[in-house]
Amino acid sequence: MAHLAHYREAHPLVFVITHWINLVAMVMLILTGFLIHFPFLPFLMGIARGCHLFFGFVLFFNCIARVIMAFFVKTSPTGGTRQQVTDYKTWLPQKDNRHQALEWIKYYLFLKKDHPLGAKLGVPQKISYLLIPVLIIVMFWTGLCLWGVTMNVPVFAATTNLVGGLMSMRIIHYFMMYVFIIFMFIHIYLANVEGFEPTKLMFIHKEHGGLVYDPDLHNIVGEDHDVH
Amino acid sequence: MENQATMSEFDSILASRGVSRRSFMKLCAGIAAAAGLSPLAVPRVASALEESVIGATSGDLYPVIWIEGASCTGCTESFAQVETPDVASVVLDLISLNYSETLSAAAGHSVEEAKAQTIKAGNYILIYEGAVLEAFDGNALRVAGEVGTTALVEAAESANAVVAVGSCAVNGGWMAAAPNPAQALGVQQYLEKVGVATPVVNVPGCPVNPEWVMSVLVDVVVMKDMDLLLNRLNDFNMPGDLFNQTIHDNCERRGHFENGEFVYEFGSEEEALGYCLYPVGCKGPQTRAMCGVTLWNNRRSWCVQAGAPCVGCCESNPHNPGDNWVEVNTPFYKRMRDLRIGPLNLQPTTIAVTVTGLVAAALVVHGFGMKASGRMDGGAPFEKIRKWDSKHPQQEIGTYADPVTGGPVLDEELVHKNADPRNND
Repeated sequence: MAHLAHYREAHPLVFVITHWINLVAMVMLILTGFLIHFPFLPFLMGIARGCHLFFGFVLFFNCIARVIMAFFVKTSPTGGTRQQVTDYKTWLPQKDNRHQALEWIKYYLFLKKDHPLGAKLGVPQKISYLLIPVLIIVMFWTGLCLWGVTMNVPVFAATTNLVGGLMSMRIIHYFMMYVFIIFMFIHIYLANVEGFEPTKLMFIHKEHGGLVYDPDLHNIVGEDHDVH
Repeated sequence: MENQATMSEFDSILASRGVSRRSFMKLCAGIAAAAGLSPLAVPRVASALEESVIGATSGDLYPVIWIEGASCTGCTESFAQVETPDVASVVLDLISLNYSETLSAAAGHSVEEAKAQTIKAGNYILIYEGAVLEAFDGNALRVAGEVGTTALVEAAESANAVVAVGSCAVNGGWMAAAPNPAQALGVQQYLEKVGVATPVVNVPGCPVNPEWVMSVLVDVVVMKDMDLLLNRLNDFNMPGDLFNQTIHDNCERRGHFENGEFVYEFGSEEEALGYCLYPVGCKGPQTRAMCGVTLWNNRRSWCVQAGAPCVGCCESNPHNPGDNWVEVNTPFYKRMRDLRIGPLNLQPTTIAVTVTGLVAAALVVHGFGMKASGRMDGGAPFEKIRKWDSKHPQQEIGTYADPVTGGPVLDEELVHKNADPRNND
């Protein structure tokens, strides 16, 4: 067993819920988005459009709520510890990750044999997760540029003109869905390829023992056998 | 005799032309509707017509110059089909069409002179059909020794307003489709470029709907009220009442769209049933125009009623020739435009699925690598020391069992400290 212990403090219940909402909303948005792009199940067209709008707003407000909660909820700064800091600090550069960006990439590309030491989120992981709220907000914005009810609102109409018209806006909205799909592929793959423990923690809040890491020493200090 | 009905002087003029009061009022109602006015404005239209046009004792017709740029003359042809009022009333009774390459009876030197005189006298409307071509120093549109761009600027400078009819005049239209060798662009953008401040009214369409042109002309020519026209314009200088809603908003097949009844193939049973044409590439949801309300060909029918998906011919951003309707809406029968990558024309789905597939394939290959390197069961063992720390023992980030070779600091107390819930902020 080489991985760090997976404690609930890494992902408190409220973030387990926001993660679930993200998952359901994104999957529903992608499915209904394909249906709207081309009505291969025509009888679902009306429902698909309604759902697409509903989950679009759900995803956006869930994203906003998640960002706001980062300033109030406490989470572990690294794996393998129950110590906690205010969540937003785990999204800023952390000492545990310093000088480790290249090491992470080398590890992923099999150019480095050993698993890098690091914070709860490794460097490439943290950067890609930070782009997700940006992606969600841009996606929401392009969606409002296309929605009949809001397309003529001056800011959205101006954005549409900026990108070269509604056809370009549609294609941007469509391509960005594939960015979500690609992110999900990579995310699901990397989260599970070294074992399902992270997924169990994130979805059903099930803990798992492992190596214990001290965020003050920035190093492993032992092993927790009490949690299975 | 005061209580006896008398015929007004105006009515006798109408009667002498074989027009009843009733049909005159019907014409007024048609004009009011065309000008985007409410039925309450019909008397205002009637008095405007009585005073300015029909009852006029001296020549009081509104001079119009109609110049053709890079066009197919389709907009002229379309305008020649107008019914309310019919083209004869327009040309003979409402306006004085002093210059038109297609409709003028005169030709050669005399018609060019008529144009020059009209421009010199001022107080006229310029209708411009077709794109402005900047390439070849304007020589692509050389008429009577004058290059096209100069002809436009000369006529536009003294005009009360320029009406850009048809999508080509609005932003280059299909003339501006890539690679746009003639450097086509719209009238408004060109005039802004060369610093002509005359207001431009854009009326897109391929061809333009003659009733929309009439509704613009009526404001100026009949109502003699420039503000009436300028107040109607949206951000694209198009009459907002005609171009703020999409085809989809007013489509007669919208019910089928809402019900999920679609045509997937021409010649199918669904097509015979008149279902929604969305899957066969209808651009109605993204094209702003009132075709479904105004209709075409003397209000007989329009594209969708005739069974064709909307090709979005009114898509036209006057400031962006690249946003011309042919460029952004082809292929017409596909849901999205083609994107050019080098010599290839590819659908967005092809590009997106290819990239996504490559990523998925890379992950599968990576997975075999993970399996082969034995990382699938919990990942590789952790490094003993960060690489940077081993090279910089004086500035170490972590605390290790050994500052050079590294290794975990095994400490029961620290294990308890981190394994027990507590806050550390």
